[in-house]
Amino acid sequence: MTRNPDRPKAAPMGKAASALILLLPAMGLCTVFIFIPALLAIIGSFHSFGITSQVWVPAGLSNYSRAMADPVFWVALRNNIFIVVGSIVLQVGFGTILAAILDSGLPRGTTVFRTIIFAPMVVSAVAVAVIWQVILDPNVGVLNTLIQSAGLTPPKLGWLGDPMISMWVILLIAAWQYTGFMMVLILAGLQGIPKEIHEAATLDGAKGVTAFFLITLPQIRNVLVVAILITTIGGFKAFDLIYATTLGGPANATQVLGTYVYLQAFNLGNMGYANAMSVILLLIALVLGWLQVSVSRRA
Amino acid sequence: MPRFTLARTLAYGFVSLWSVAVLLPLLWMVLASFKTRREMFMDPAGLPADWTFAAYGRAWKSGMGQYLLNSLLVTSATVALIVILSGMAAYVFARSESRALRGLYLLMVVAFAVPAQAVLVPLYQMVSAAGMLNSLAAIVLPYAAYGVPFTTILFYAFFLDFPQELEEAARLDGCSRLRVFFSVVLPLSGPAVASAAIFQAVFTWNEFLLALLMLTAKGAKTLPVGVVQLRGEYTSDWPGMLAGLTIAVVPMLLIFVLAQKYFVRSLAGLGK
Amino acid sequence: MTGLKTAMRARAALAGMALASTVLPSLASAQDPVTLRMWALSGTGIEEFYAAAEESFQKTHPNVDIVLEVQDGEAYKTSLQVALVGSDGPDVFFNWSGEDAQRLIRDGLVLDLTEGATADGQFGTTLSEGWLGAFSRDGKIYGAPANAVSKYFYYNTFFFDEHGLKPPSSFGGLLQLCRDIRAIDPEIVPLPLGNSQRWKMNHYITVINERVMGNDALRADYALTAPDDQLFTNPGYATAWEKVLELQQAGCFQDAPNATTPEVSRSMFSSEVSPMIFCGTWCGGIFDSEGYTGYSMFRFPPIEGGKSDGNSNMVVPEGVQISAKTAHPKEALDWASHLVSAEVGALRAELLSAIPSDASLLDQAKVTEQFRWMAADMTSLAVQYNVIDVEVEASVANAYLDAGTEILNGTMTPQQAMESIRAAALAAKAAQ
Repeated sequence: MTRNPDRPKAAPMGKAASALILLLPAMGLCTVFIFIPALLAIIGSFHSFGITSQVWVPAGLSNYSRAMADPVFWVALRNNIFIVVGSIVLQVGFGTILAAILDSGLPRGTTVFRTIIFAPMVVSAVAVAVIWQVILDPNVGVLNTLIQSAGLTPPKLGWLGDPMISMWVILLIAAWQYTGFMMVLILAGLQGIPKEIHEAATLDGAKGVTAFFLITLPQIRNVLVVAILITTIGGFKAFDLIYATTLGGPANATQVLGTYVYLQAFNLGNMGYANAMSVILLLIALVLGWLQVSVSRRA
Repeated sequence: MPRFTLARTLAYGFVSLWSVAVLLPLLWMVLASFKTRREMFMDPAGLPADWTFAAYGRAWKSGMGQYLLNSLLVTSATVALIVILSGMAAYVFARSESRALRGLYLLMVVAFAVPAQAVLVPLYQMVSAAGMLNSLAAIVLPYAAYGVPFTTILFYAFFLDFPQELEEAARLDGCSRLRVFFSVVLPLSGPAVASAAIFQAVFTWNEFLLALLMLTAKGAKTLPVGVVQLRGEYTSDWPGMLAGLTIAVVPMLLIFVLAQKYFVRSLAGLGK
Repeated sequence: MTGLKTAMRARAALAGMALASTVLPSLASAQDPVTLRMWALSGTGIEEFYAAAEESFQKTHPNVDIVLEVQDGEAYKTSLQVALVGSDGPDVFFNWSGEDAQRLIRDGLVLDLTEGATADGQFGTTLSEGWLGAFSRDGKIYGAPANAVSKYFYYNTFFFDEHGLKPPSSFGGLLQLCRDIRAIDPEIVPLPLGNSQRWKMNHYITVINERVMGNDALRADYALTAPDDQLFTNPGYATAWEKVLELQQAGCFQDAPNATTPEVSRSMFSSEVSPMIFCGTWCGGIFDSEGYTGYSMFRFPPIEGGKSDGNSNMVVPEGVQISAKTAHPKEALDWASHLVSAEVGALRAELLSAIPSDASLLDQAKVTEQFRWMAADMTSLAVQYNVIDVEVEASVANAYLDAGTEILNGTMTPQQAMESIRAAALAAKAAQ
């Protein structure tokens, strides 16, 4: 993502008509479908109304103070952070390990492994949710059957019904689906490292794990940043998986911002409040986006 | 030269274990779709007694075929639109010095951070007022809008590194800016286009929330919505539901398996 | 005097128009074809039902085409609200009575049917006052009640006979029944509870509340009209939750009710893995379609020490409403009346196992013995009441739903549950 300073610069595109023609469709589309609704949501956050209300009642900052005082909002935020941190550790972490293994040249099967591990990515989150809900069913699910035949006891309240472990189960299902994506991303980065670097490192006496941490990892820094950013923003946007399995239950144990906004807006009819939480969500996403731009620019 | 050290064995073991963990649920899904309803409950872990396609018949009748087609149409159109629009915009950003355009690029990054569900109701009301509900052609527009920011960022990085000598040469030959872009730059942007297309294809194919609210007519639904509906409709017909899921999942998997070599090669451009 | 005459003349004109539109379809059909968008909840037999209803409707309205769209439970409520606010919503749609319907009425999204419905041949003249009240507000009619659903305990008659068990006549008897079944085989779950979507427990607590406190004591609290210092303070509410715990302790439920879907719990009953289930009147049709018919029903028994004699039950009217934005109010009204008429009611009973609001043709309908039993039982009730999550304001309903989950998980005591519900009720009351 850096400019090579040795390359001659072409005459830059300024306000030429051609620049406008190329730019307008994309900017136009985004303005209509992203910026305008976002603006409406921000305005709405300062009002009080339901989906079906005819009137928007001005409410000042009350929606925001309500969010601050709402224990479920904090539970949701905490869960989102849990998902983000957990996903970075699991998806990026294991993704890197898997990529490193595949890159180090297993004698055979690299392609097969890569294909299999990536496969769940192309399955939609709701399909994943439905499959896993069937597998994890506490009465007739296949997982519990296997556990019991091994003589062990599965959790009494059910994998998705126990408030202590349900969030972990969701995290693991998400990791099951997305780790392959991270693996392929990082693998591509690893395969882009010029051989000379590896050779130079070996010549210098560095080998194995040390070489990996000190030499290889820094080389794929950009890829890692992208991977972490995608995981982070994805973690804050989490919705589909939780909607289709627990709907935020049991009793808000797996509630995240996405599902809580949905609950407040559509089930409880508090659009203004939902908008306020969305704006907070938006701000968090903005900060993270800004971080990516600044980190990658420094590279 | 491969040596069978402890490290190698552990490495193999780990990757194999992970692969098995990934495969098992999917295999079980396909297996169970051949069972009968009673078998599902009496003997969850066992193999089907008779391998029956009855469940597939029921799932197909509930409309999975139509949903598959809808998803295909919507995804293809959306991806094409995203790639073209983002490519054009990113090219302008990458070749510009003006502060105003820098600002616009930043705006694009901001747009990336906006989650669709945060602006769901105003978005829905806009689409509804424009009479675009239940129209597959029309839902492509909001879908494309939400894919453009990420893809623009992708192309931006790619175009920054793109060798400008070729463009120079073309301009000296008298080509207009537009022609340079379409005739010189775009054809040589294969890897970036491929990565972008594949990413956006996966995200669009799996998009759920907007489709749930905007495509409610029976003939208009896409696959993810159809899948969730299967669960509600098939109260306890799990084999039917899993058959429907298999129909939903297998095409993408097959395409992926066939195209994966190309996909991974093109991903190499992403992290640069 | 003149006022009355004018009113009567207007009413006659309206009746005449309504009559004309039903009796003289040939004139109407010569005009433009009309398309009505109909929204309904997905379920077994829904498509066949609406197809059959449309067919019989087109005998009198050949120019009307009904376009049906179905969605499943969670999504339906959301999509409906959003669609009605937009410009492309349904003309006629299914809705539950209670808060869901009232919210739409309050926000002016449904058509006031009072005038049209009481015209000759329309549903206002064929249904009883009690039914019509389901979709009314301030004396005006805003919807047509089509059917009602209720809840019963279904039990496996073969299992009961084999082990000498009998339906209980008291709550204590129900507890003993669970213990007896566990004694026969501790692996059997006597009463599977599929609470993953939270409403199953809500159905239980609705009935238990009434059994413990009597229907009248609940009204002011549910409507949030009780004075603040008395809102949800009746100790009976906590007692009701304790009854749930007693069911749990007697071994009635399985270990993980909050992770069990309603579908799974129904299947446990219909595949005869479990001998009982507390299920809706619509479940009979589901069991039949799965090939299981060896079941019978009993009502939730009275609770010892409770204020209710048990001659009451939870009854939830459902029906159709018409969008205020519809372009075809006349045809929509005709279609709505048709949907709640006696002949379609018979279809409803046969295809959807729904107990119709106009039961006059039920005798000739092809329904099972069990269905007839339930329909008859419902008409014999002295007291009917709606279910909490439909009756009560949304955030209070949400508090009740969550409390049920927590009680089952043991993360809240009955007192704590009522504290959270009372807090939600006070907040909701203040916001009104």
